Amino acid sequence: MSGARLAVSTQKYLAIARASARRAFAERAVLAGRVVFLGVILFIFSRIWETVLARGALTVSGAGKAELIWYLAVTEWCVLSVPPVFLAIESDVRSGDIACRLVRPVSYVGAQLAEALGETALRLLVLGPTGAAIAFALAGGWPADPWGLLLAAPLGALASALAVLSTAAIGLSAFWIVDTSPIYWIWQKLAFVLGGLLLPLELYPDWLRALARFSPFPAMLWGPGRMAFGFAPGAALETLLELLAWSALVAAGLAWLANRARLRLTVNGG
Amino acid sequence: MPPAIELENLRKVFRVRGRAHGISGSVRALFAPTTREVVAVDDVSFAIEPGERVAFVGPNGAGKSTTLKVLSGILQPSAGRVRVLALEPGRERTKLAFRIGAVFGQRSQLWSHLPAADTFDLLARIYELAPADYRQRRAELVASFEIAEVIEKPVRQLSLGERMRCELVASLLHRPEILFLDEPTIGLDVVAKATIRDLLRERGRRDGCTLLLTSHDTGDMEGVCERVLVIHRGRLLLDRPIEALRKSFIPMKRISVVTEEAEVHVGLPGVRRLPSRPHRTELEVDLALIGVDRVVAAIVAGARVLDLSVEDPPMEEIVTAIYRGAAPVEGRK
Repeated sequence: MSGARLAVSTQKYLAIARASARRAFAERAVLAGRVVFLGVILFIFSRIWETVLARGALTVSGAGKAELIWYLAVTEWCVLSVPPVFLAIESDVRSGDIACRLVRPVSYVGAQLAEALGETALRLLVLGPTGAAIAFALAGGWPADPWGLLLAAPLGALASALAVLSTAAIGLSAFWIVDTSPIYWIWQKLAFVLGGLLLPLELYPDWLRALARFSPFPAMLWGPGRMAFGFAPGAALETLLELLAWSALVAAGLAWLANRARLRLTVNGG
Repeated sequence: MPPAIELENLRKVFRVRGRAHGISGSVRALFAPTTREVVAVDDVSFAIEPGERVAFVGPNGAGKSTTLKVLSGILQPSAGRVRVLALEPGRERTKLAFRIGAVFGQRSQLWSHLPAADTFDLLARIYELAPADYRQRRAELVASFEIAEVIEKPVRQLSLGERMRCELVASLLHRPEILFLDEPTIGLDVVAKATIRDLLRERGRRDGCTLLLTSHDTGDMEGVCERVLVIHRGRLLLDRPIEALRKSFIPMKRISVVTEEAEVHVGLPGVRRLPSRPHRTELEVDLALIGVDRVVAAIVAGARVLDLSVEDPPMEEIVTAIYRGAAPVEGRK
């Protein structure tokens, strides 16, 4: 593909992403619901951390109540910013709307990813500051070393993008199975447990932590979240490389699935 | 100039998973699934010249949508040769996508939470339209389809008729050489249907765009198209101009006459009285036995006529007769 062609193509997908962000902004009730949910989760866990830490039942080196609340704020920010792209793809396949989209001079999966990433960007921008404000209020201030949060921001954005790629791949399974929700459910629960959504991996037993590190989930949640414990460029670089490697792997898998799905459509009907 | 659309012996077969009965059957199917083949389109051949407006009609499951999907590159043919604008749709889908448009009456290409104008802007990017060209084309279509008042409202707030006009504009922005229309008037009221048909006919003429329209509504076929292809159970039953279809398959005419007298009696062979009301008589004339002129002359001679109309049977009846396997009139003689 020539440079000019690549630029034109990129602009198309950026235009789709922008339109998707505008649509997400128009659906303000959904956004508000996510903000409220984030506030409720952070409030509940701030009380839990307070009780647990007061009893001395839990220790994470270098982390007090404030750091744990900020950790949760970062991991929930990553999770809540990801729109349900798998449902959008499933709905297209089930309803036959995919035919409408395939007559356009853009890749179907590319357009779906652009839409999801546009919405993700808007959610990151809305949930980031609001989540930070809630965490600040509940934790009574910044974490002890707040500069790590500067590293959490780009890592969290990249982690959300990896989640979009992964859930798009789950959505493509609709070409084989009618309902993708069970696969998503399993993926989501694995992400929450192995990724360390609520508890940092430092609190996990060694064997479980070792097992988790074979999956992409720690890079998606624990990696950005642990930046709340302090400014750690080495750890940030490690998470960045893991995110890039997993993104490349999942993108390759997605491309393979997309090709298989196209064949499936033409063999088994629209 | 090569045909806009050329199909030779198109065949499309789908593999469908067999249905298992009972729990044991379901478990067996899990490990050894059975499939059967369903022939959706079988040995269909036709050509459509640039600028032609063609109706593609048939009952549910006839193979219309499958053929349209093959023509637009969404599905690969199982056998046969397909050329659209001299391209092979299955292999050159993206290249073809720049030159064709599609409107699916039951599906929307507009973003429901955004104004239609936003979708138009997005489509301009997707179809790589030059900004000045896009602005000019959009202004022309917005004026022609009379949607200036509605394109800034979120699409979900539009009526079905307004939405359909916006859908058509969206599919015409990039000046497609062929427009595929799948049930473009479904769900619309009588006035909105008539408006859409007028707009399609006019736009087809003005842009020289080839139209291929599928519909269950024979009014769409009569109102927009000049030629009809009838498909049934995957096979092409008939291909001829709309007018010829009428002439070939219409052995009857209907005469409706309003008279000062309560009843009109026409004692001529080939004339049958249909259920009528006082002062309004309905007659069916068998053209094989008698000409309409002779029947009209007999009516005028026997009664004081206030109004008189001669009509063909509804196109619906003609198409139904074709599905049932009726031979054309000339074939029966």
